Amino acid sequence: MEVDSVNYIALLEVPDKKIEILPGASSDLTSVTFCVREEDHTLGNSLRWAIMQNPQVDFCGYSIPHPSEAKMNIRIQTVDQVTAVDALDKGIDDLKSISQFIKAKFQQRVQEGNYAKI
Amino acid sequence: MNGAGVGDSNQPQIRIRSLDKNSVDFVLSNTQLSVANSLRRTMIAEVPTMAIDLVQFMENTSVLADEFLAHRLGLVPLVSHNVDQFKYTRDCTCAEYCKDCSVEFTLHVKCTEPGTRAVYSSELISSNKDVVPVSDDESRGIILLKLRKGQEINLHCVAKKGVAKEHAKWSPCAAVGFEYDPHNNLRHLAYWYEKSIKEEWPLSKNAEEEKEADPDAPFDFKAEPTTFYFNVETVGSLDPQQVVLTATRVLQEKLVALQLALEEDQNPGAGTNMDDAEPWV
Repeated sequence: MEVDSVNYIALLEVPDKKIEILPGASSDLTSVTFCVREEDHTLGNSLRWAIMQNPQVDFCGYSIPHPSEAKMNIRIQTVDQVTAVDALDKGIDDLKSISQFIKAKFQQRVQEGNYAKI
Repeated sequence: MNGAGVGDSNQPQIRIRSLDKNSVDFVLSNTQLSVANSLRRTMIAEVPTMAIDLVQFMENTSVLADEFLAHRLGLVPLVSHNVDQFKYTRDCTCAEYCKDCSVEFTLHVKCTEPGTRAVYSSELISSNKDVVPVSDDESRGIILLKLRKGQEINLHCVAKKGVAKEHAKWSPCAAVGFEYDPHNNLRHLAYWYEKSIKEEWPLSKNAEEEKEADPDAPFDFKAEPTTFYFNVETVGSLDPQQVVLTATRVLQEKLVALQLALEEDQNPGAGTNMDDAEPWV
């Protein structure tokens, strides 16, 4: 019987990066598509919204190129003064503070306790 | 607005309408649809709990097939208040599973009396007193299977930590009710009707909280939903308030992980892994 050959190249492969810049980005990094792995609409849609709130962002959109690949692409185009990387960083910060606020507010409301206890 | 600090007016607001052992009903307002939806999606699919993941059958002379029973056991909710103490098995240093990443259960029942012997989830014997099948004080839990005289079941289960995006058995939520714009002022819905929308589509109780738009006014195409009605119903593995709080924490953890990865991508080698900076052939 034939012995299965071991794929040594696959064994040596470096694990996929969480985020990378896809080819085709402008050299000044004002229009960039990022590929984020292991993320979906949960982060994609709200992150797109958070980034779009920034007045220095001209365009932001996200897509999931294929349903069976755990990848989420997010495209950011900014004005000349800032890079898309900065805009993404700021968007993440803003969304982080929103979810921090929701958490604190919910905790506060649970402690206040003026709700119906069925 | 009681308890609201200075500068809260632009921040999301929460009002809890009811809270009990298995559900929480709250209104999230002054925020955006995508943010509310992220919270909903995280509660359903990314809050970790414990669930049976491996089942080893020593004896099964019941009428149910091994794989059928194994599937049923996987769906049994386990009390997961201490889920944070466990690692994911893939992150654990052990070879297969250990007490840091799993809880073991045994079930050994033989029916010796004439008649039917029901086997309940509360009969699973746990290796960890904090992780046990969910059951009320007066109930015996879920019927797993029934045995007749002479039939026997003897099995060993391994429960692991996981999230519902891998398998729905890890979801802490039975259902998450999510509604906005109960009067359909924004026309996100196109109702099917025979004669009249108003007669054929009764309003939800959330409609009392909002005003209906003037039917003669021109349609406000720039309006966006800002108030979201949540009703989180749990399966008993976690408390409902714990589900909401863990979801917000998971969301933040995802964002922090992304931010760190972005930093590492922009300044490779600045972080911990210096090997990545060296090209090797």
